[in-house]
Amino acid sequence: MAEKKKISYGHEFAKGILRENPVLRLVLGTCPTLATSTSVVNGVGMGIAATIVLICSNVVISALRKVIPSKARIPAYIVIIASFVTMVQMLVKAFVPALDQSLGVFLPLIVVNCIILGRAEAFAGKNPVLASAVDGLGMGIGFTAALFCMGTVRELLGSGTFLSGIDTMIGSFVDLKGFSGFDFTEAIGKIGLSPMTLFVLPAGGFFVFGILMAVVNRLAEKKGRPKAALAGCEGCPHAAACGKTEKEECEAK
Amino acid sequence: MKFYIALLVMGVLTQNFVLSKFLGICPFLGVSKKLGTAVGMSAAVIFVMLLATAATYPLNLLLEKFGLGYLQTIVFILVIAALVQMVEIVMKKYLKPLYNALGIYLPLITTNCAVLGVVILNIDNISEYSAYGFGFGHAMMNSFAAGAGFMLAMVIFAGVRSKLETADVPKFMRGLPITLVAASIVSLSFLGFTGLVEGLGLLG
Amino acid sequence: MNKKDIGSILKTAISLFLICAVASGVVAFVNSVTDPTIKANELAEANAAKSAVLGAAESFEDIALSDGTTGYVGKTAEGVTAGYVFPSSASGYGGKIEIMTGFDTEGLITGVQILSIDETPGLGLNAKKPSFLERFVSTSGELTVIKNREAGENEILALTSATITSRAMVKAVNQARAYFNEVTQGEGDQ
Repeated sequence: MAEKKKISYGHEFAKGILRENPVLRLVLGTCPTLATSTSVVNGVGMGIAATIVLICSNVVISALRKVIPSKARIPAYIVIIASFVTMVQMLVKAFVPALDQSLGVFLPLIVVNCIILGRAEAFAGKNPVLASAVDGLGMGIGFTAALFCMGTVRELLGSGTFLSGIDTMIGSFVDLKGFSGFDFTEAIGKIGLSPMTLFVLPAGGFFVFGILMAVVNRLAEKKGRPKAALAGCEGCPHAAACGKTEKEECEAK
Repeated sequence: MKFYIALLVMGVLTQNFVLSKFLGICPFLGVSKKLGTAVGMSAAVIFVMLLATAATYPLNLLLEKFGLGYLQTIVFILVIAALVQMVEIVMKKYLKPLYNALGIYLPLITTNCAVLGVVILNIDNISEYSAYGFGFGHAMMNSFAAGAGFMLAMVIFAGVRSKLETADVPKFMRGLPITLVAASIVSLSFLGFTGLVEGLGLLG
Repeated sequence: MNKKDIGSILKTAISLFLICAVASGVVAFVNSVTDPTIKANELAEANAAKSAVLGAAESFEDIALSDGTTGYVGKTAEGVTAGYVFPSSASGYGGKIEIMTGFDTEGLITGVQILSIDETPGLGLNAKKPSFLERFVSTSGELTVIKNREAGENEILALTSATITSRAMVKAVNQARAYFNEVTQGEGDQ
């Protein structure tokens, strides 16, 4: 990162969505991915909340990158991220209370979402404001897209619905004309089937994530890219703080 | 007393932190290859959870008193981060054996979502279980149970993964995908504990 | 420790302090803006639930119950008591389920609404469906949960594969009925 290179905004934006998708390629933010993808609306709500925090914290951290002393970097980042999370939490509570209810503890837990601290450390702390904003937007969309995929599979198979609960989330902003998501349970009930509840249970979350990752790995392999793997210490924002762990105990690729 | 047992059973079995609440997935997938590291990591998590709860629970009362409850997230994460750093320094100097056992994991779990998760959930529990008079002792018990649940999941999963090492897995599933599917099956087995707390009549 | 070290420590401390100060200032500002809306939301939600379970009432008055809970007396536009609404809760599979139950003056349940629920989607969360909540309507006694057969009087058919949730719901409704009995019998004694 030391060399001066021309920043291509298109590249910074696009990398987060596919090539370096935070969830499916970098395997970051697994907790919220598994926990909030029980339905599309939940997952996308989480994705948007995290994206807002990511863009804001990237911008502020990038703007302050010359002021923040490098020793106090991590605590400073944590304060900035935590403030934005708190603000987003209050805004969600005020304007989309249904989302606050369904995300529960995972809303404040955006603070410790590895994607956000990871981007602060890997990108925003070293790059100009606009590029950081674009990077945040791209990564955020990548995160949201992954949650959308997980949510679609789990909701369709697990509850037999699609976009259910959308009216409680955006109903107060957009006129949905009574639309509250598709419900296929009756249709499949006619042929004697019922939804596979397993998929909305935690076990189904792990399963869908595993299969989705296998599919993405296969696609990546076709393009000659390496498999997704836990980035080990390299992906961990605290790698710098734990010299010992790196050597023996942390399982790198 | 019954409520303490209920909290323990919930934290370890029926509402396991990792397998049903999805907190602490990163270390669960990342540090569970070897039994030794899995146990070390979990012990450090239990330790930090207890410490963090002991520090944040009274702090929350203070925040509430001054009507600053909305600063909860910021204060908690900073306190946890600072606390872990300080404990590491103190341990290194005065408790060398303990440091050798747990020290290397401490920085890793500063911002582990399971730790922040448990302290926030403890505060939520005050109103959730107000009928049982959820207090400081219960918060500590809950944190211990959460950490013990984390340890149980880690230890079981370390065993599963050692079998996976020698298994003949289809090429496209190798690596993380099969690990996640294995986690899914472990999580499924924990579903069997559903209703245990109710069945034992622990939450009267 | 030389001067340079002290200078750098001071610089670090001051910049961290400034970041914290600015951050808490901004958060406090956002809080002051959103707080009224959040409170209003909570109030509106509670009111909506009250009217939903006791449609006959136009306005509600608080009544204190022996265990510190606040119940509500529903009054019609003419000021006649139309019924009662009681909040209650019980532990389900995923945590506490909070409900509002409405009673007419005879003690028949007029409606049940869920205020907060954290059950498994597709299983326990089905308790939110009107088809389940309607099973409570017009019952008049202590309820029990049954499975795999037609529900008789004062029996509630459990949700498929969600017995714990169903039991919690019934327990909460029974709690509300206990409040109802407390209030109406209390009045009878006077």
